[in-house]
Amino acid sequence: MRVVRPVWLLSAAVLIFAGLMLAGALRPALAATAPSEIKIGTLYASSGTFAVASQGQYQGLQYWAAAVNKDGGVFVKAFNKKIPVKVIAYDDQSSTSTATTLYNQLITQDKVDILIADFGSVLTSVAIPLAEEHHMLLIDPTGSGANFFTKKTDYLADVSIPSSAVWPVPLAKFVLAQKIKRVAIIYDSNDFDASQAETLKSVLAEGGVTPVYYNGVPTTESNYAVLLHTIAATHPDAVLEFGYAPNDIAFLRDLASSGLHFNMTFTIFPGQLSALITKNVGAKALAYTYTYPTPPLVRYTSVTLGATTDQFVKEYTAASKSAPNFLNAAGYNNGLIVQEMLALAPQFTQLDFHQALMDMSGKTTTLLGEFKINENGAQLGELLPVAQIVPEGEGNKFVVIYPDDKATGKAVYPAPQP
Amino acid sequence: MSLLEYALIGGILYGIFFALVGIGLNLIFGVMRIINLAHGQFVLLGGYGAYLLSARLNLNPILGVPLALLGAVVVAVPLYYAVVPRLQRSRDPEMLSFILFFGIAQMIDAILLAVFGADQRSLPQDALGAGSIAVLGQSFPDSWWVATAVSLLVIGGLFLYFTRTRLGFATRAIMANREEALSTGIDVQVVSAISFVIGIALAGIAGVFVPYMLGSISPDIGNELTTTSFAVIIIGSLGNPLGTVVGGLVFGVGTLFMQTFFPSWSNLVPYALLVIIVLIRPAGLLGRAVRVA
Repeated sequence: MRVVRPVWLLSAAVLIFAGLMLAGALRPALAATAPSEIKIGTLYASSGTFAVASQGQYQGLQYWAAAVNKDGGVFVKAFNKKIPVKVIAYDDQSSTSTATTLYNQLITQDKVDILIADFGSVLTSVAIPLAEEHHMLLIDPTGSGANFFTKKTDYLADVSIPSSAVWPVPLAKFVLAQKIKRVAIIYDSNDFDASQAETLKSVLAEGGVTPVYYNGVPTTESNYAVLLHTIAATHPDAVLEFGYAPNDIAFLRDLASSGLHFNMTFTIFPGQLSALITKNVGAKALAYTYTYPTPPLVRYTSVTLGATTDQFVKEYTAASKSAPNFLNAAGYNNGLIVQEMLALAPQFTQLDFHQALMDMSGKTTTLLGEFKINENGAQLGELLPVAQIVPEGEGNKFVVIYPDDKATGKAVYPAPQP
Repeated sequence: MSLLEYALIGGILYGIFFALVGIGLNLIFGVMRIINLAHGQFVLLGGYGAYLLSARLNLNPILGVPLALLGAVVVAVPLYYAVVPRLQRSRDPEMLSFILFFGIAQMIDAILLAVFGADQRSLPQDALGAGSIAVLGQSFPDSWWVATAVSLLVIGGLFLYFTRTRLGFATRAIMANREEALSTGIDVQVVSAISFVIGIALAGIAGVFVPYMLGSISPDIGNELTTTSFAVIIIGSLGNPLGTVVGGLVFGVGTLFMQTFFPSWSNLVPYALLVIIVLIRPAGLLGRAVRVA
């Protein structure tokens, strides 16, 4: 027997169904299920050139994660609740090819919510295109290569170290203020060091100083004896070396044993890994060297987010049984920035995360200083002053000598003969 | 002119040291036809031995030289008998040794990392002399001269071993033709074992000076040392230990000349030289001389 249904009944059913669908579509945030944990993916290097720095950064992040989880997790505005964090980390062994595979794994297999790069420009460089391709915001702790930040992006934010395009500006201004005319610059041929050298050279040029020596060396360089002799032949007053920690160690040791003396010598890592460099180079050989002093050597007592530098040092030392270095502080700072980002982002999307960082920019101060990024993702805040390592008793102390408003003493220039 | 002289003298010193770094690898290949991919790691063991002597026992790191000899006996004898005879019974000992010693290299890396961590380690600057010595007006740190002097002594000793001792004659006979040496009654296994120990000892002795010549040691530089050693011995002559001296000199002088005049390209030198030598003289610079000897 044929059943005839009234047309109005069919129409009503369609309308009710459509209404239900529409209602569902209009309340995504309420309907979205909060995850049981926020997955933070990162890499570290247990071996290789960047191991010491990378592990320091990773330890700082782990310290932050343990601290927030102890407190019930991070507050995520998109879900209006606290959620624990889980750090998923793989060992890239300081290899860019391994890092590429592992970043890919974090994004596509582990499907992490937050992606944090490994230490430094070399290991960050391979993450940037991957993050862009997968529309993931890359939290870049210490990759400062100026060429990373040449175009507007929603998928990159340098959070814990100044971009190399601005980093050496105080150093260049100090050199100009000291009226040093003969400057030698030797740098490792990688994004981090080469862009620092390039920035320095251009700021010096604006002040009318053209380097008497300006050359790159391989990042693996470990023998500076002949290079120093070649530099000395140009009669510089200041010799500025841009390298990673192993380069700085080799450079400073070769300088100490060469019998050469320059009025000013600068390297980067005594200010970041002072214990490591002092252990390898010796306090005497480090005396009167200039460097960028980093927190905790530079202390921020007024912060808007997280612990002050002093509080961090105290709490980290208590928890880890060892005093933190800059990389520990940088790793902790990554966590802080992510924490605030999640607390501000109205939706749990990568674009909202980025917008939250932009909203924080210029209004946030952490233990590393003012957090200020531009639309290209470059860190323009957290500027590092210039310090000189000055003998004190059997050891040395760091004296901030530029800029004047941060200075704790005057530069000893020219450096006395050993 | 001063720059040229400095690079030349520095290159000679640096090259003689790198001859020592590479010579053990060449000896082992020449006698056993096996490729010791863990060579750089054995160099590192020597460096860490010297570090322990200095940092833990407060002794002069130069004592790492006899320690390397002792350590080589302890490490290399069991390693030889556990590995090498089996390798040589295989169809393709060269390829198998490649894989096997790669594994050993990874193990040593992991052990060094676990024991010493990833930190760079150095030796006291003044332990080998705090001053510098000038030759032709070009002054280099004492440590460079000590490293060169020890390298020359060790290489000279190896030369005397080859040319003045029965074991040395037997070693050369095996290097020339293993089967013929066996048929003449030479105990190939014993001679090979001794050569293996000497090869590892040479690597260990070189390691004592690595912190002075390369700034510091850390577990990650072993493979780079192996690669550089390969370049040095191929330039000289693969299978001819004394050819390594020539390879080292070419490498050292070439590298320091490039550092002086084109520093950005200095790490290209060993590999560019290697390619050129392989194309022009596949047997290496001293390849022919070996065969005749």
